[in-house]
Amino acid sequence: MKYILMMNGTKADFDWYSKWSKEDLMAQMAFMHAFNKELRDAGVLVAAEGLASPDQAKCVRAGSDGLPITDGVFPEAKEFLAGFWIVDVENPEQAYRIAARASAAPGPKERGNMPIEVRPIMSGPPPEML
Amino acid sequence: MKYILMMNTMKAGCGVPEWPQKDLQAHIAFMKNLNQDLKESGELVSAEGLSFPDQARLVRAGNDGSPITDGVFPESKEFLAGYWIVDVSSPERAYGIAARASAAPGPGGKPLNMPIEVRQVMSGPPEKP
Repeated sequence: MKYILMMNGTKADFDWYSKWSKEDLMAQMAFMHAFNKELRDAGVLVAAEGLASPDQAKCVRAGSDGLPITDGVFPEAKEFLAGFWIVDVENPEQAYRIAARASAAPGPKERGNMPIEVRPIMSGPPPEML
Repeated sequence: MKYILMMNTMKAGCGVPEWPQKDLQAHIAFMKNLNQDLKESGELVSAEGLSFPDQARLVRAGNDGSPITDGVFPESKEFLAGYWIVDVSSPERAYGIAARASAAPGPGGKPLNMPIEVRQVMSGPPEKP
């Protein structure tokens, strides 16, 4: 069963993150590198990606002529995806345990454990859609 | 340059959209064609569809490191429905592909013109720190 583990944050969260001390950032990156390696070695890692910061995000819609209309303004409350893992595991509990590990990644002392959104990946459209 | 194209259209608690079967099929056929075209042009890195928000859980580590799961989300929360990662020569090309996905057919076969969020995917940690 494939699950996606998502780190989401508002623009304010990203602004705060950009102010972390070098030491805190290095500790977090070292954690992520070791964590990804461990998942890879265990054979459960399908993919892991980090996304560029929200100030580079564009919202694209097709106009009536099909051409892209791009917009860079988002509501303040919008949560942006910061990065994700896809893992292939035996059951949801294993996915939740891996998410809990990511949740407890090191950060500045005042930060609590971060929320990780976990959802199954569909291998194809649900049968009722075909 | 790798870009991610995200469909963030789903709302908390929702399941399979209540569209007529024929409209769902047309939508899925459109997505299959789009993926096939991107595969043939060599631009598709990956594409995934996520399960519906009723299966989403928010997980945090408790003090002992074990997972605390929660299935309640604010009503305003947007859920990721699916994404493409494409490897393209310019952001404009990524926006062009996003516009095509945006115009996927919806109920009655009308283009949805849904918003697609486009952002670059980082190949490694930023150089700065």
